[in-house]
Amino acid sequence: MRLNEWQQSFERYLSGASSAANVALGASLIGGPTLNVRTGLAIYHNAYQARLQEVLRGDYSAVLNWLGDEEFERLAAAYIRQNPSVHYSLRWFGKGFEAFIRQHLVPEQSAPLAELAALEWAFTLAFDAPPGTPLSVQDMAELAPHDWPTLKVSPSPSLQWLECAFNSVALWRSAKEETPFPGSTGLNTPCVVVICRNELVCQYRSLEPEEANAIKGLFERDWNFAELCSELTVIYGEGAPLQAVTWLKQWIHDGWLQRGKS
Amino acid sequence: MSASLPCLGYGLGLRSAYYQQILDQSPSVDWFEVVSENFMVPGGKALYYLDAIAERFPLVMHGVSLSIGGPHALDPDYLQQLKRLADRVKPAWISDHLCWSRGNAHQLHDLLPLPYTEESLHYVAGRVRQVQDVLQRPLVLENVSSYVRSAGDDFSEWEFLEALSRLSDCELLLDVNNVYVSSRNHGFDPWTFIQGLPAHKIRQLHLAGHSDYGDYVIDTHDHPVSDPVWALYQKTLDYLGPVATLLERDDHFPPFEELLTELQKARELGESVLARRQKCA
Repeated sequence: MRLNEWQQSFERYLSGASSAANVALGASLIGGPTLNVRTGLAIYHNAYQARLQEVLRGDYSAVLNWLGDEEFERLAAAYIRQNPSVHYSLRWFGKGFEAFIRQHLVPEQSAPLAELAALEWAFTLAFDAPPGTPLSVQDMAELAPHDWPTLKVSPSPSLQWLECAFNSVALWRSAKEETPFPGSTGLNTPCVVVICRNELVCQYRSLEPEEANAIKGLFERDWNFAELCSELTVIYGEGAPLQAVTWLKQWIHDGWLQRGKS
Repeated sequence: MSASLPCLGYGLGLRSAYYQQILDQSPSVDWFEVVSENFMVPGGKALYYLDAIAERFPLVMHGVSLSIGGPHALDPDYLQQLKRLADRVKPAWISDHLCWSRGNAHQLHDLLPLPYTEESLHYVAGRVRQVQDVLQRPLVLENVSSYVRSAGDDFSEWEFLEALSRLSDCELLLDVNNVYVSSRNHGFDPWTFIQGLPAHKIRQLHLAGHSDYGDYVIDTHDHPVSDPVWALYQKTLDYLGPVATLLERDDHFPPFEELLTELQKARELGESVLARRQKCA
């Protein structure tokens, strides 16, 4: 068997469901004094599955906490079959897990589970995102008064934004804190959760609707500071600039912002 | 005699479980080996610690995803990232494995053995030269543990490594534990393997633990180094002279002090062998 042909056969074997090899692959190999070819191949087959399962267990520990070992293993095995790894780094293997859950399970089951998976993946993305150049309080202090109205900010590269319709944050927290699983429930009002790495630590915060709207305006509608204040006037009246500055200070403190284009 | 460049001494595999302790304790470790792919990320904790540790200790880069024997074209993006990382940490050398880890269609994330044939030899040698052209330095390749081997081999594994290093000018990372594991699984003499390698090409040694299942042995890196591997290590150093030694642990991480104690054992055994060797010279 030529090298390329042999490798194709080996690859098909590793990613297949069965640890029994086809005859041609088996015949192309030899074992040792006490290690036969069948067992030797099974070591590779098991290692392939176990390694990918381990990655998903690590990336989706809250989903695992919800489903339990057996159900998670079945779901992960189906994902591994349908989404073989295409990136040299295992860090990216779990990228499609949320989408897979949405397709693979019935909607009643998939919606909350996929949302939890999305939350976990958001932490993964924040964890090793580029550092960017976060705005500091000092930067703001040095901003000339005439530059304030046109000030624009953009999200820090590690900032992730997730609209939750379920209590995914509570489920995630229970997995991390190893407290009893609270059960999945829908929220009366969808909630925005922001995940961001500040210095080296990933943090998260659920936002009240007003704050979520404000930050969405800055990031998605490209508001400058004057436009933010103007929008806030509807709710906060004359207190709008103070509210805007208070939030701005908080967002800077949390490492969410970098300077945008004015 | 190996190691044409200065020997780095006794090192540890850099793992995230120990980052902070390494910075806090400045342990008696001569150098660290980093898994290259763990640091091919845009930012975050891993790079922060990498930079901080690189300021204090010599580093060596050790990859697991080059797939030098794979059926695919070499990944230019991967090679560029590897080069960028090398520019960042200035490693003493860059190593990977004589294996394939990616198939035609997918990443397989394992260190799969190659058939040791003329076809493989010339195929891999050409790819090693390509990698060396990008990295502008010799590639250092490690022997892997294996659980099957090709029935149509033209060479033994050590003959293949010797021929590859001659054809491509690559250097070798001799994993003493892998030699032991494969020797048990395939029934060859580990000392024949080691003596069959070109000693002057051996840049580094690896030590690690394995799991012994009686009929076969698996290279798990989750145990301390076993007695037969320590014995083989001493014999290897006696044969080669000073070579950089690296202790690996990838699972069941013990307290850092335990790893340091195991590294100290490597140092004491190594120094004793080398002192005796010098007296006899």
